[in-house]
Amino acid sequence: MNGTRRGRTAWRALLVGTLGFFVVVCAFADSPSVTAVLSKSEAAVGETVQLQIRVTGGRSADAPEKIAVDGLQIYRTGTSQHFEMNNFNVTSSVIYDYAILPMKAGTFKIPPQTIRLGSNALHTPALTLNVTDSPGRSSSSRSNREAQPENANQLVFAELVVPKKVAFVGEMVPAEIRLGFDPHARPELIDGPEIAGQGFTAQKLQQSQHNLETINGKSYDVVTFKTAIAATRTGKFEIGPVKAKARVSVPRRQATPRSRSRSPFDLFNLDDPFSDPFFADPLGRLAERREVEMESEPATFEVKPLPPNAPPNFSGGVGTFAMTTEAKPKRVQVGDPITVTSTVSGRGNFDRVNAPALEDDHGWHKYPSSSKFKQDDEVGISGAKTFETVISPNEKKQALPPLVFSYFDPVKENYVTLRSDAMPITVEGGAGPAPAVIASQPGPAATVAASAKPSPKPQDILYQLTERPKVAQSFTPLYARPLFWTAQFVPLLALLGLIGWKATQARRENREAQRIAALRHEAAELMQKLRRNDSSPQEYFSQASRAVRVKTALARNIDPNAVDAETAATAFDLDENERTQLRRLFERSDELRYSGAHNGAETISPESRREVLDLLENLRT
Amino acid sequence: MKPRKLIVNLCCAITYAFLIPSVFAQSDAQFAKANQEYADRNFKEAIDGYDQLVRSGQWSANLFYDLGNAYFRAGDFGHAILNYERALALDRHHPEADANLRIVRDEARALELTPTLAERYLKFANVNQFTIASAIALWVATFCIVALIFARRRSGAVIALSIVSLSIFAVAVFAIYQLDNGSNGRALAIVTGMNVQARVATADNANSVLALPPGSEIRVLSNRGDWIYAALPNNLRGWVPAKSAEAVRL
Repeated sequence: MNGTRRGRTAWRALLVGTLGFFVVVCAFADSPSVTAVLSKSEAAVGETVQLQIRVTGGRSADAPEKIAVDGLQIYRTGTSQHFEMNNFNVTSSVIYDYAILPMKAGTFKIPPQTIRLGSNALHTPALTLNVTDSPGRSSSSRSNREAQPENANQLVFAELVVPKKVAFVGEMVPAEIRLGFDPHARPELIDGPEIAGQGFTAQKLQQSQHNLETINGKSYDVVTFKTAIAATRTGKFEIGPVKAKARVSVPRRQATPRSRSRSPFDLFNLDDPFSDPFFADPLGRLAERREVEMESEPATFEVKPLPPNAPPNFSGGVGTFAMTTEAKPKRVQVGDPITVTSTVSGRGNFDRVNAPALEDDHGWHKYPSSSKFKQDDEVGISGAKTFETVISPNEKKQALPPLVFSYFDPVKENYVTLRSDAMPITVEGGAGPAPAVIASQPGPAATVAASAKPSPKPQDILYQLTERPKVAQSFTPLYARPLFWTAQFVPLLALLGLIGWKATQARRENREAQRIAALRHEAAELMQKLRRNDSSPQEYFSQASRAVRVKTALARNIDPNAVDAETAATAFDLDENERTQLRRLFERSDELRYSGAHNGAETISPESRREVLDLLENLRT
Repeated sequence: MKPRKLIVNLCCAITYAFLIPSVFAQSDAQFAKANQEYADRNFKEAIDGYDQLVRSGQWSANLFYDLGNAYFRAGDFGHAILNYERALALDRHHPEADANLRIVRDEARALELTPTLAERYLKFANVNQFTIASAIALWVATFCIVALIFARRRSGAVIALSIVSLSIFAVAVFAIYQLDNGSNGRALAIVTGMNVQARVATADNANSVLALPPGSEIRVLSNRGDWIYAALPNNLRGWVPAKSAEAVRL
C-alpha cells in the first residue's frame, strides 16, 4: 500500500517536473514570427501547389481555414507541430499546410494573412503565383524524350524546368531538374546532374522528391532536384542542357533461334528450349548493365538589366524583403559597444544582401558586421539573414539613427528602401577615452592624472620609463609559487606547537582530576565501612584516621599521607573539643597499629562509634 | 648531509651569488641600449632590444610598458595593447601603462571584454592580495578552532573571530577564482593580428561571429590545433586563429 502511494507520488513529481521544464523552456523561447512559402512559384491550371505557413514561437495560433483569392482555390489540408531543441533553446513551430488549385491562368497575388497568436497579430508576406495554361515543362524536352530512340535512352530522360522565362539580373529564379528512370531498369545515378551554360549562377542542387509518374502511358521513377538560378548578365541566353550519367539494366538483344547454340542433349536439333542462355546464367544473360548519358534540352532565358538610379546603399539584393532591427544595450557610456541586430527576411538573392547601414553615422564608430543566414526552403531563396554590427558612440547620443536597406523588387520593377525607426538609447559621457597626455621627455608619473570629463582625442602616448626594479617580476599568481607554500610552514609549526602545549596541559589537568576523584571515592568507601559494625577496633580507627587524612587532602589539595591531627584541625577550623577528639582518634589509631591488636577492648562501644562518625561527618570546609 | 655534497652546494651558492649581479648589470645595459634606440626613433631596434630582455625572463612592468610604447610608435597597436596589458598584469597601478592603454585602445578601436558583476566589485584587490588575505584568515580561523577545542570554557569572542575569519577566507577564495578565471584573468589574450574574424567553426570560410580589431580582448576557453575557442566581447563566443592572439600572462 505504502509502495503504491510512494510510486504515485514519484509519478506526480516526475509529471510536475516535466511540466515545469517545458514551462521554463517555453518561457525562454524566441518571440513569435511567421513565414509563408509556396512549393513553386509557377504552376499550370489544375496543378496543385502547396502553401506552407510556419508560425515559430507560438502554439495556439489561429490561422484561416480558407484563403480567398479569385482564380485560386486555397484550402487548409493539415496542421503539424514541431519542436526543436538546440543547446536547451527550444523552438516550437506550428506549420499550416494549404493546397492551392489554380482555376485559371494569370498572375495571382496571395494577400498577407493575419495569424492571431494570443493578443498578437502576425502577418504573412504577400506571395505571387504565376499560373500558365499548359504545364510549364519545356516542350522541346518533352519532344526530345518522345523522340528518343528505342534503346537504352528510352529507359531514362532528363528535363530542365525553368518556369520563369524573363527575369532581372541577379534575380533568383527557381528551377527544377527532373530525371526519369524506368523502374525495371534498376537505375543508379552515377554522375550529376549538372546544369551547363554560362552567364548565370546556380544554387546547390537539392533532391526534393522521388515519385512514380506515368508519362505517355509508361511508368517512370522521377527524381526531382531543386535549385535557383540567378543571371549575371543581361540578354537572351540558354540555360542548360542538364547532363547526368546513370547506370541501367538494358535487356539483351533477342538472339534468333538459329543463332542459339545447340545443347549437347539436343541431338536432333529440335530447338530445345533448355538451350536458352537463361538457363546458363539466369540473372546475367537477360539484361546487361550499361552507362547512359542523360541530357535535357536547354531552356531559354531573357535577362533584363536593373533600372538606373539605384539607391546609394543598394548592394545588389533582388527580391522581396522585410527588415527588423534591435539594439542592445540601451544605456551605455561614450565609447562602449552597442550590438545592433538587424534581420532581413523574405525571398531573393540573399548572397547579395549586405548589412543595413546607418542613415547618419556621424558620431558613431562602426565595426565590420557578422552575418548568418537561416533558409526556409530547400534552395536558399527564402529565409532570414541576421546581421550583428557593433557600433560605438563617439559622443553623447539620445537615439540610434535609422538603419536603411535597399533592394530591387522584380514584381514592382523598382527599387525599395526599407528604413527602421530611430531607436531611443542613452549614451552618457562619463568615461573619457583617455587621460591628459603628453610629455615627450621623461618626467614624474604624477603628471598622468586622469581627466574626469571627456577630453579631445589625445595626440600622443606618454614617455619611456628608464628605471627597472632590481628583482624580476612574475606573472605566476602567489598561490602557485613554491615560496608561498613554504611560508605556510611557519604558522603550521606554530599551530602544532599550540596543539602540543594545549594537549600537555589538558593531560596534566586530567591527572589531577583523576587523583581527586580517587580520593573522593576512597573517602566515600571509608565512610561506608565505618558505618558498618563489622570491623575490629584496629581496623576501625585505622579507617577513621585515613578518612580524616583523605578529607583533609581533598580540602587542602595535599598528599593524604602528610596529614596529621593538627593539619586536619586547622584545615577544617575545628573548635577545641573537636580538636581533642581528633587528636585522641589519631593516638588511638597509632596505638592500635603499633602496640598490637589485643591491647584493649575487643569491640568498640556504640557511643564511641557514634562519636567518631559525628566527628568525621562534621569535617566540612 | 655528506661533506662532499655540502661543499658542492656551497660552491653553487657562491657562484650564483656572484652571477646574479653580473646578469642584472648586463640586462641593465641592454635595457638602456633599447631605450636609446627608442629615443633615436629606431623603433624596430628598440623592439628587438626589449624583446631580448623579455625572452631572458627579466620581466618588469616598466619593460613591458616601454615595449608597448615602441610597438605603438611602430604602428602595431595589437602588440602595443598586449604589452600595456602585461605591464598592468604585473603592476595594476602602473599609471603610465594605464594612460597609454586607453590612448591606444581609442586609436585602434579595440573591443574589450565586459567584466562580470562579481569582478567589478572585487577589483579593489588583485589575486595576490586576496591570496595573502585568504592565508591569514585561514590560519587565524584554524588557531581559533584549536583554542576552542582545548578550552574548558568556550569564549564568545573566539567563536566570533573564527566565524569572521572563515567568512573572509571563503570570500577571498571566491575572489581568487573569479579574478583568475574572469575577463582579466589567466586566460586573457589580446588579438595581435590584422583583419581577424572570430568564426563559428574552425575553418577560414566558416561564418563570421565578430570582427576583432587589433588589441581586442578575448578569453581563451580551449585550444584545438591552430584555433582557439574564446569568449569574445559582447558576450559572444567563437573560434579565432591561434596565431592571431597572444596570452597576456607569460
